[in-house]
Amino acid sequence: MLAQVHRNLEWLLEWVVIILMVALTVVVIVGVCYRIAGNSLSWYDEVASVQLAWITYYGAALAALKRRHIGFDTVLLALPPALRKLGVIVGEALVIGFFALMAWAGMEVLTVLEGMSLVSLTWVPIQLTQSVIPIGAALFILCELVSLPGYWRMTADGVSLEHADIEEEVEHELKKAGEY
Amino acid sequence: MLILFMFIALIAMICLNVPIAVALAISAVIGLIGSEGPQSLVAVGLDMYNGSTNFALIAIPMFVLAGAIMNAGGITDRLINFVSALIGFVRGGLAMINIGVSLFFAEISGSAVADVAALGSILIPQMKKRGYSAPFSAAVTSSSASLAIIIPPSIPMILYAVSAGTSVEQLFVAGFVPGLLGAAGMMLVAYIFARRYNFPVEEAFNLARLKRTFIEALPTFSLPVIILGGIFGGFVTATEAAGLAVLAALLVGAYYREFDLRILKKAMLDGGMQTAVVMLLVAASVLMGGFLTRAQIPQDLAAAMLEFTDNKYVILFILNIFFLIIGFFLHSAAAIILVVPIVIPLIVAANIDPVHFGLVVTLNLAIGQQTPPVASVLIVACSIARANIWDVTKANLWFIAVLLTVLFICTYVPAIPMFLVEYFYR
Repeated sequence: MLAQVHRNLEWLLEWVVIILMVALTVVVIVGVCYRIAGNSLSWYDEVASVQLAWITYYGAALAALKRRHIGFDTVLLALPPALRKLGVIVGEALVIGFFALMAWAGMEVLTVLEGMSLVSLTWVPIQLTQSVIPIGAALFILCELVSLPGYWRMTADGVSLEHADIEEEVEHELKKAGEY
Repeated sequence: MLILFMFIALIAMICLNVPIAVALAISAVIGLIGSEGPQSLVAVGLDMYNGSTNFALIAIPMFVLAGAIMNAGGITDRLINFVSALIGFVRGGLAMINIGVSLFFAEISGSAVADVAALGSILIPQMKKRGYSAPFSAAVTSSSASLAIIIPPSIPMILYAVSAGTSVEQLFVAGFVPGLLGAAGMMLVAYIFARRYNFPVEEAFNLARLKRTFIEALPTFSLPVIILGGIFGGFVTATEAAGLAVLAALLVGAYYREFDLRILKKAMLDGGMQTAVVMLLVAASVLMGGFLTRAQIPQDLAAAMLEFTDNKYVILFILNIFFLIIGFFLHSAAAIILVVPIVIPLIVAANIDPVHFGLVVTLNLAIGQQTPPVASVLIVACSIARANIWDVTKANLWFIAVLLTVLFICTYVPAIPMFLVEYFYR
């Protein structure tokens, strides 16, 4: 059940991030070409910045699901098993608590921003662009919870997630190199 | 007292493996509650959004993507063939090729981890087959990959420039000469090792082969031309150069007809996630930055340090030691985001050029990528070579010494890295 949720969430977020990256790439390339041609697009900076924010939070949720955020696990892994487990519980509670706060603050900001729109594209409400904060925070919490059992197991076994990721990446690159 | 509590909480959370971005944001929340009360917490929603919309940082996903697309589009083997024809005749040819290709890769990609994974997976197995020891093969690949963050384009440089409020373009130009110096020094070390251990020569020099491999690799060189030529010539900004680099990478991939859509999809995904991880740190630093500025912490720190000494070379020496120590424990992006906003007022007050200091920081963090326990580039190289991290570190000491020498020269003879900046911009 949880594995199924993990897979579906991963599939969904991966495609969201890919689509956002493609869209940002298109906007930046078109924007640069227009600028070089001496005909700058008025909406380019503002739209690209909003896209970057969306990539940040949807990508951050995906990185939480895959446990790829930059951390430092040397001390935690050096603790005795019982303390290590306590450390994981406290650490996870802090992360989830922060994103719950961010979701609340994001909703508060959305109410204040009602009726406002982007400067260059007046038909785009700022509530839409800034909705990424509460939605991104909620997704982050969901991803953190779904990936927690795997993180719990690996940390309990004293395995570094970063090293496991590196092994996976290295296997991928060696396989690719073998194809040349 | 509040600041001390925030600092202790930050360190404790980092030790619990809380993502550094989140640990930073929670410390800022503690500061906000302690100084301005719970009603100020709405700033979390505002700052975390505004921090992630910094236009200059769009260069990060674009450069990551350009490098990944070039790698997916079949440039790696062509570059290796060209560099092999160029310097493979020297004793220890494969080690030289490794450093030479890293130098070219550094001008395409902004990430040393990506470089070491792509190049190491091809070159390290070949080096081992040709009689190089596994630790030496990993050491030379790992150290030379760190040139990626010194030579433009460089993601840590973009992050520094945004954190310090200085020019990304000038920082890119400043990194060029130190990068070349580093590569030359590493080649010298590799040559000395090659003579001592009688490493093989790869092939006799052949002008016809050099010409053929150059023509095959020619489209690849469009990227350094766009990035370096465009920025040095003042035609484009770093963000624009990044956008053009993606376009060029797509065209080169189409020209070679080696695009693999699966790899392209992975490139987009990895690029998106890497960007998100770094941008979450940036957003958290904006939340913390707002608090620090209101509390005047960086200014107080600058005043305290200037009371101790106002000699800029002493200050640079102290900061060098500090960044070297931090490099042992933190990834480069985290180190920049955590420290640079706090020390910048000191840099300005001590009359140190922020561009020059940015280069010094980047060099320190390049060394940090080679020093365990947190040394992502080194760990990737060890993993490919199936070598023990401490054996590799022992072999790597000579290459780290090269990077330290470049750091020393660039810190105390600013004219060496800065003369190109003076020439192009001032």
